[in-house]
Amino acid sequence: MSDMNPVIRWFHQLGSPPYFDRFAARWAPWGYGLGLLIMAWGAYGALFQVPADYQQGDSFRILYIHVPAAWMSLMVFGLMALYSAIALVWRIKLCEILAMACAPIGAAFTFVTLATGSIWGKPMWGTWWDWDPRLTSQLVLLFLYLGVIGLYHAIDDRRTAARAAGLLALVGVVMLPIIRYSVVWWNSLHQGQTIRVFGESSMDASMLPPLIWMVIGTKFWFAGSLLTRARADNLHREAGKDWVRRLAEAKA
Amino acid sequence: MSYREYVIAAYAVFALMLVWDYVVPRLAIARELRAARRLAARKAARPTRNETPTELGR
Repeated sequence: MSDMNPVIRWFHQLGSPPYFDRFAARWAPWGYGLGLLIMAWGAYGALFQVPADYQQGDSFRILYIHVPAAWMSLMVFGLMALYSAIALVWRIKLCEILAMACAPIGAAFTFVTLATGSIWGKPMWGTWWDWDPRLTSQLVLLFLYLGVIGLYHAIDDRRTAARAAGLLALVGVVMLPIIRYSVVWWNSLHQGQTIRVFGESSMDASMLPPLIWMVIGTKFWFAGSLLTRARADNLHREAGKDWVRRLAEAKA
Repeated sequence: MSYREYVIAAYAVFALMLVWDYVVPRLAIARELRAARRLAARKAARPTRNETPTELGR
């Protein structure tokens, strides 16, 4: 053990429930705090600094929450599937917990994507909703998230539940490329790709910085939320253990 | 600002989601710790084996 690589040793330590609890309790506030600060700065830029779009007017400012939320909805699902795959193959309990903690956060971001898209769609498209490939596939993603959450809570034994829900998460990964390329494969009302991570974006450079801040801020927020939700599940699974009792009495 | 109501509504949805995402897991942790305290109190209140003589013990 003493010859072990420090990073690998740390991963082993993180697998210990009391160690993970201390780790999550320590770092979650940083994720929330930094996330909130960065998003506040991004939102300020989005609402007050960037100029209005020459066609869409100020309604385009909704994009600064719609796009980061949409990216989060896809990234969180991918991460949930990755954790689930690790948990299914190597039976690592912490990965089960992390995978299941991803689901409500991803569902929330998916809901925000759909809601903000709908709010933007009303003045721009003249309708709150359209059964367009991008919108429909994003709605299916929300149902998948809800399916994972439902399955996890429908089975009493948390380990069995996490394996069943993890399998659904893995199958659901097929939706990610469908959502990503839905605007290319089908004739979609939803606009095509505007912002490119690699290559030039169709959006003017002066409008990009708040979007970048929002994208970074949502990542930090997600880290805070993931750790807190995983901590809650970890405590639930460890109920009755002596370290939980000591922690509860210390917090009383 | 044009389309002001739509912009406010969209940002309000996002802010509400953040509040929900912050509050719900904290409530869950508080619930788990409360349950742990109740369990510990029940265990402490339970009489120990030596204090209650049984038929076999006599």
